[in-house]
Amino acid sequence: MPHPNRRIVLASLAGLASLRLAGPAVAQPRPGVLRFGLAAWPPNLQPWVSTGAAAGTVKMLLHRRLLGFDAQGELRGELATEWKLDAEGAWVFTLRSDAVFHNGEKFTSADVKWSIEQIAGERSTAYYRAQMQQIERIETPDAATVRLVMKTPLATVPQWFTNYNMAIVWHGSRDANAPIGCGPYRVASQERGTFLELQAVPGYWLPGLPKSRTIRMTVYADENLRLAALQSGDVDMIEYVPWSGMAAVEADPRLSLVTQYGPFMDLLFNGTRPPFNDPRVRRACAHAIRREDIVRVAFSGRGKPLEGVPIVEGTPWWDAELAKGWAYDPDRARALLAEAGYPNGFSTTLLATSQFGMHQSTAEIAQRYLAAIGIQAELRLTDWSTRVSLGIRGQYDIAVHGVSADFNDPDGLTVVLDTSLSAAHGRSFGVQAPRTVELLAKGRAEFDPGKRVEIYKDMQRAALEEVPMVGLAWRAQGYGLDARLTGFANLPGALSTSSGAMLEYTGPG
Amino acid sequence: MLWLLRRLGTSLLLMWVVASIVFLALHVVPGDPAEVLLSTGGTSPDPYAVAELRTRLGLDLPLHVQYGAFLAGLARGDLGVSLVDDYPVAEEIMLRLPRTLELILAGSLIAVLVGLPAGTYAAVRHGSGFDRGAGATAAVLQSVPVFVLGTLLILLFAQTLRWMPAGGYVPASESLLRHLVLLLLPALAVGKGLAAVVYRMTRASVLDALSRDHVRTARAKGLTPRRVLARHVVRNALSPVATVLGLHMGALLGGTVLVEYVFNWPGLSTPLLRAVEARDYPMVVGIILTVSALFLLINLAMDFLYAALDPRILRS
Repeated sequence: MPHPNRRIVLASLAGLASLRLAGPAVAQPRPGVLRFGLAAWPPNLQPWVSTGAAAGTVKMLLHRRLLGFDAQGELRGELATEWKLDAEGAWVFTLRSDAVFHNGEKFTSADVKWSIEQIAGERSTAYYRAQMQQIERIETPDAATVRLVMKTPLATVPQWFTNYNMAIVWHGSRDANAPIGCGPYRVASQERGTFLELQAVPGYWLPGLPKSRTIRMTVYADENLRLAALQSGDVDMIEYVPWSGMAAVEADPRLSLVTQYGPFMDLLFNGTRPPFNDPRVRRACAHAIRREDIVRVAFSGRGKPLEGVPIVEGTPWWDAELAKGWAYDPDRARALLAEAGYPNGFSTTLLATSQFGMHQSTAEIAQRYLAAIGIQAELRLTDWSTRVSLGIRGQYDIAVHGVSADFNDPDGLTVVLDTSLSAAHGRSFGVQAPRTVELLAKGRAEFDPGKRVEIYKDMQRAALEEVPMVGLAWRAQGYGLDARLTGFANLPGALSTSSGAMLEYTGPG
Repeated sequence: MLWLLRRLGTSLLLMWVVASIVFLALHVVPGDPAEVLLSTGGTSPDPYAVAELRTRLGLDLPLHVQYGAFLAGLARGDLGVSLVDDYPVAEEIMLRLPRTLELILAGSLIAVLVGLPAGTYAAVRHGSGFDRGAGATAAVLQSVPVFVLGTLLILLFAQTLRWMPAGGYVPASESLLRHLVLLLLPALAVGKGLAAVVYRMTRASVLDALSRDHVRTARAKGLTPRRVLARHVVRNALSPVATVLGLHMGALLGGTVLVEYVFNWPGLSTPLLRAVEARDYPMVVGIILTVSALFLLINLAMDFLYAALDPRILRS
């Protein structure tokens, strides 16, 4: 009887190697095609409903907003060429005259008016519904002008129109799942949950764009597989590079890594009952946690401590001293607890999702540091759906959350800091922070940039006292890409999750 | 005939029980599809939007009304549409089920191609170095979790050697070679545990057959060892191996979940996991019903097979 084992092993290896030599076994780059690894399947592509950043990336390529951002994160026009306040305090947008929808219809002010009306509608499920309802009247004096008369003066209106859930859709669109946009791409083919292929619109109205004729988006839900797909050359680019793999991407000369500190982790509280209805207890929690450990363990060092209100460093509102307002100080934390009537601490619960590793790791480290000052927090780890449900209903004491502001202006933090808004899993439940809320509103209504800076610094001081949330860590948001690709930029700060818009400028050479 | 009707009736009853348990369990656990959909990416949804979406999806109706509508749909053979994007559940299953079955069949084929000859050779050379080495390998293969093996295969063949793609799927109609290449690693991961089972079963059966009188007689008649092995040993040893293979193939339906996830193989697992996360009730129930129906069909087929082989079952 022959010995087949060695032969089998050699034959198998030769077979695998020959598959490699066969060339087409491993996907090869195709000219004009950008292969992109998505982290999640967009649940749907309804233009105004918030269904996550992956859906946002696709929507920004299919549609146009009134405004967007340049690579530095500065406002720039998309469908609007100019935007300004008129003498009566209304916002006036001057529109492009050369934009065309995918069905060949010309873009006009009627489409802007119709889109805003749909978003603000009574039966709307749009993310910006509440904001659009703050518009008292939409005037369209001509095809290239839209005038928004607000119920109250608001400085941040242009920022609203940069959100990826604020697409301008052709006014004759009837199918919510297939609205007609005027972006550089349209969906050529897709398989639900697997891939999306976007094809450049022939004769796109902006000359020279988009840079890649086709974008093939394949979903790699597992972060390690997504990284492996980039490293093995299956895709040209991936989003959400896992923190543990960032060093490997940096070390690979064929690849490049672009990161920004945008999203952050925070602690939320149920302020409807003791002990967390007392701001001193919440402040004690804020001073109890050493953030460097969260950055090291949960983000493999790819983050930075967040010891204040999450204002992006380098913006006019950032202040070095205020940014350290909740610095690690266990003695102060114990003193605050004693002052609040808990000299020996207390027992409580800490809610987090186990579905995302960084949430669980952050919760575990927070739990250890809280224990060190006498707060014994029992971990409650759930799947994401349960975490959302318990958060909205206030069925927790402390919760760990991770999110990004809507935009870099401090008003973009309203979704996190304004605890007077409706209950949400991403905001503290029933916490009273009246000065913070009042100053947010004041900043939103102020048009003078210098005064806004001072108002938002006051807002940070108020938040450090009232503690509507506790900042824990900024986390690096990374894109990994083939080093030969050019044109892509990871937008700064909170805008990082909107960087998918830059894919239309991305291509080889 | 009565036996057949009774078996079919039992199967239908079991399907109803499975469907009801899954439907009710999903509604009992915390998590609301409208809240989850509008909270994707960590954003905090407007409660008016959540309420409106709940109304549109019929989630504001009493549970017994939803259950009645669900059963009525099932009775018409209508599995409904996804709560997330209105996609028909039946279409999703029809697209993905063949891929899951293909993965199971490919894994089983690898298991047979590896386990059968290795088990036979180990039995013939029992006590040899090969026998001991193969036994140890089988133990390792059975004990290593599929996601560990899957990750190691990707690390070695995709990331380090760059011989294979990291994962994914290409239809055979688009490129047969790439289809097979992408199938290879997940099929190895699916088949590794079954290969170990087939190896052990084959080795034991062949060892047993080798000690039988008819084998000794065949040798005494002067048949060559190869012929004795092929005609009188392996053929007799195959029956228990086939039984074990049949039983384990059913279990592989559940075992592919992790493999499909690790290798991004777009079978039934991906939509099932996504639907559970999103509390997409129609999709979860539809997929679990399909898997349960397959199990029941396999069991039914086995019952028919046993009845055909042993008519005493029918008579009793």
